[in-house]
Amino acid sequence: MAPPDSQFAPPERLDAGSNGASLLLDARHIGVRFKVEGGFVDAVRDVSFQLNKGETIAIVGESGSGKSVTARTVMGLLSRRATVARAARVVLDGEDILRFSEAKKRRLRGNRISMIFQEPMSSLNPVYNVAAQLTEVIHLHNRIGRRDALKRARELLEEVHIPEPEARLLQYPHQLSGGQRQRVMIAMAIANRPDLLIADEPTTALDVTVQARILNLIKELKAKYGMAVILITHDLTIVRRFSDYVYVMQNGEVKEHNRTEELFANPRHPYTQHLLGSEPRGAANPLPEGSPVILDGRGVRVVYTLKRGTFLKPDYFKLVAVDGLSLALHRRETLGLVGESGSGKTTFGQALIRLITNSEGEVFFDGEPCHDKDRRAMRRFRARMQVVFQDPFASLNPRMSIRQIVEEGLIVNRIGANGRERLERVRRALRDSGLPDNILSRFPHEFSGGQRQRIAIARAIALEPEFILLDEPTSALDLSVQAQIIDLLRKLQDEKGLSYLFISHDLKVVRALCHRIMVMQHGKVVEEGPVAEVLNDPKTDYTRRLVRAAFDIAA
Amino acid sequence: MTETPVDTARQAAGPAPPIAGRFVGGSEGYFRLVWRRFRRSIIGMIGLVLVVLLLLTAVFADFVAPMNPKESGIAFAPPDAISFTAPDKSLTLRPRIYPTIETGELDQVTFQPLTGPDYDHPHELGFFVDGADYWLLGLFPTNVHFFGTLDGSPVHFLGTDKFGRDILSRGIVGSRISLMIALIVVTITTTVGTIVGISSGYIGGRFDAWLQRFVELVLAFPQLPLYLALTSLIPITAPSNVFIAFVIALLAALGWAQLSREVRGKTLALARIEYVRAAMAVGASDWRIIIRHILPNVISHVIVVVTLQIPAIVLLESFLGFLGFAVKPPLISWGLMLQDTSSFSVIGSYPWILSPVVFVLIAVFAFNALGDGLRDAVDPY
Repeated sequence: MAPPDSQFAPPERLDAGSNGASLLLDARHIGVRFKVEGGFVDAVRDVSFQLNKGETIAIVGESGSGKSVTARTVMGLLSRRATVARAARVVLDGEDILRFSEAKKRRLRGNRISMIFQEPMSSLNPVYNVAAQLTEVIHLHNRIGRRDALKRARELLEEVHIPEPEARLLQYPHQLSGGQRQRVMIAMAIANRPDLLIADEPTTALDVTVQARILNLIKELKAKYGMAVILITHDLTIVRRFSDYVYVMQNGEVKEHNRTEELFANPRHPYTQHLLGSEPRGAANPLPEGSPVILDGRGVRVVYTLKRGTFLKPDYFKLVAVDGLSLALHRRETLGLVGESGSGKTTFGQALIRLITNSEGEVFFDGEPCHDKDRRAMRRFRARMQVVFQDPFASLNPRMSIRQIVEEGLIVNRIGANGRERLERVRRALRDSGLPDNILSRFPHEFSGGQRQRIAIARAIALEPEFILLDEPTSALDLSVQAQIIDLLRKLQDEKGLSYLFISHDLKVVRALCHRIMVMQHGKVVEEGPVAEVLNDPKTDYTRRLVRAAFDIAA
Repeated sequence: MTETPVDTARQAAGPAPPIAGRFVGGSEGYFRLVWRRFRRSIIGMIGLVLVVLLLLTAVFADFVAPMNPKESGIAFAPPDAISFTAPDKSLTLRPRIYPTIETGELDQVTFQPLTGPDYDHPHELGFFVDGADYWLLGLFPTNVHFFGTLDGSPVHFLGTDKFGRDILSRGIVGSRISLMIALIVVTITTTVGTIVGISSGYIGGRFDAWLQRFVELVLAFPQLPLYLALTSLIPITAPSNVFIAFVIALLAALGWAQLSREVRGKTLALARIEYVRAAMAVGASDWRIIIRHILPNVISHVIVVVTLQIPAIVLLESFLGFLGFAVKPPLISWGLMLQDTSSFSVIGSYPWILSPVVFVLIAVFAFNALGDGLRDAVDPY
């Protein structure tokens, strides 16, 4: 029998009063209720946490666990449909900030407490340049002149280590890279030397190599100003490296909290154990000797012609997305295609199964040329090569039932003599994907992200293909769901002899699933080889950076 | 990940891996969900009820109208008040009216015959009374009317027009032509607009570029002068049904462009979405992708546009009718009825002939309310 949840999550911290640390923020019994379609949802229930001065606590949990809602409650940034429980208190230096007036809360926000968000592009206003946005924050809480504010803005940009701060001041958000935008957000957040910085998934939207740098910057600034930081994340490696104390949340409740080392060394709540155990693990099963090549791409090149310049003076230029790449995938093999966003890995993958037309190069599927076939002629290959996409919310048509979704490929390819036979195959595909087969008449919106991804996999395997292109199938999913999907993919490969081309930026997942790996940058392959070899002994600087970003954060 | 409240609600049940237990209770399709959200909108429901009533009224207009709309009597007779009192001030249970008659006297200034209520011959009112003959739905000859006088004598709840015809009955019967014009025009514009929009967005490339320039051309036309110029092209002797067909064709020819723009935009986004790519990956044909994946996802938008376009056409018809460019007698429409109100002195003396405005107002409000409610239900966030 599972112990009651409160056992590992008393309202007081386990290390309360030790080390002479003084309390900055004391949040008790936070409860948040949202009004939704036909009732209420308690997004957060009776959450208590404390934060000492100058310390980092992490709130970890999967999506829907209520961690962001908790943080927004502290900031007073909840939507109108939310009500905070009566008993809730958030005491900052002796004052309950939940009972502040709106004006008083405004003075607090951006001044004593500030927040950085996940998506830096949508948090910055696209019509103002960096200087305007930074000085606005400074002016809001300080009475200083324009010139001084600009000078301060410059200093802030230097503090967040943006190269050429003078030039950046005049730039607009779209001219900055993702990492630079997040640095500007951090500069805005620290502009008024806050006592508390809330970082809500600050690196999730960034490329892996940029993530570590942003987190190090936050750590550096924290030490410099003695800020306390609440770090909200789902990524355990980040938690381990950057936080002093951890709160684990699930379904709106704190399940367990402890000092970071303690928690990782000795997780007590079953959910924490489950979470810690759900890092992708294992490795691909060994490849049988002399397995034939199923997918063979030679010199594949994809070029987009883009237009810039004016209407009267058009200026066409060519963007080379994939620059003459070759690959040979064997039966029962999983090949990992790795790279940062914009490296052309998705384009390459889709060109190989001819969802995108390649400009040059040859593609052979099971020895037959595909590159010279048009869409109609490609149809007879379609049942043999399938694809699973990244976003489980966009890859299922919301107007079709699960049966219609999974059955579509069978109907289109005239597989199965009649409805009964097709239905049997649909049921089998669902069961093979780890779903119950009584969900046929349901619609996609009734399923969670992981379940939807299983449905997408069921759609692919219903056709009994030989090859599946997996385009980041796990990156939109929570960690524990990710591990389940990886296990499922590995199991299906064994049972059905599938070959995978696995596109990902997450080297941990790649290590758990792939035999070989190709690292891509700017449309070219910079390194390739067996997984163990490339990850343990990267040859190029770029691969080394990727590997360090994925595995070394924990070190 | 940042949770919006919606995300939280969706995931509140938890992404628990053992799934079987979660699937109890009925599954709801998309339109069921829309209906559930729509039902909570009070204005939308009022709109829906009114629209249904309006359509029923139009279909059974002859039955609902108390009188034959073409029968004439005393011109500019004021509305008959429903009375529950006898001339001697005693209460009666049966509602009655005192019909307007010529008093036999003449106005001292204009020498028009004066009219007034005839207190000696009240007409009692009732439901399901016998009156003028008509063909119900064009199939069954009958003379039963929803309400009217028991003895079938004239009654004018909204007064009469310059030829002495009952305005209420004309308004009810006129809803047929007005709504029919709107429905036919909107059917054509949405069909054309959806087809053009989907093909333009789906095929894309040069076809899209040229088609969109043409759409811009249509959008850029100054519509009103064009209506007036083109309607004056029709020979004045043309029969009224030819005339009306021409007006419908004209309104439709200029009305589809805006919708096609919107549908194209949605199609552009949908054609790149992953489930369409997945359908391509299983080998589905373009036709199948359009019918199964794109059309169902734009149709809700189209339905909303339809309900919002109908009142626009009703208004346009009443406006063109007022100018005398939409419907010609002997057909009856709201716009045509409003033509009588074009002189100030008439409105000043006989304000009740403005009452067709009320029909237009109700129709416009009903469809707009329905459309707003639907839009909120289809796209709540």
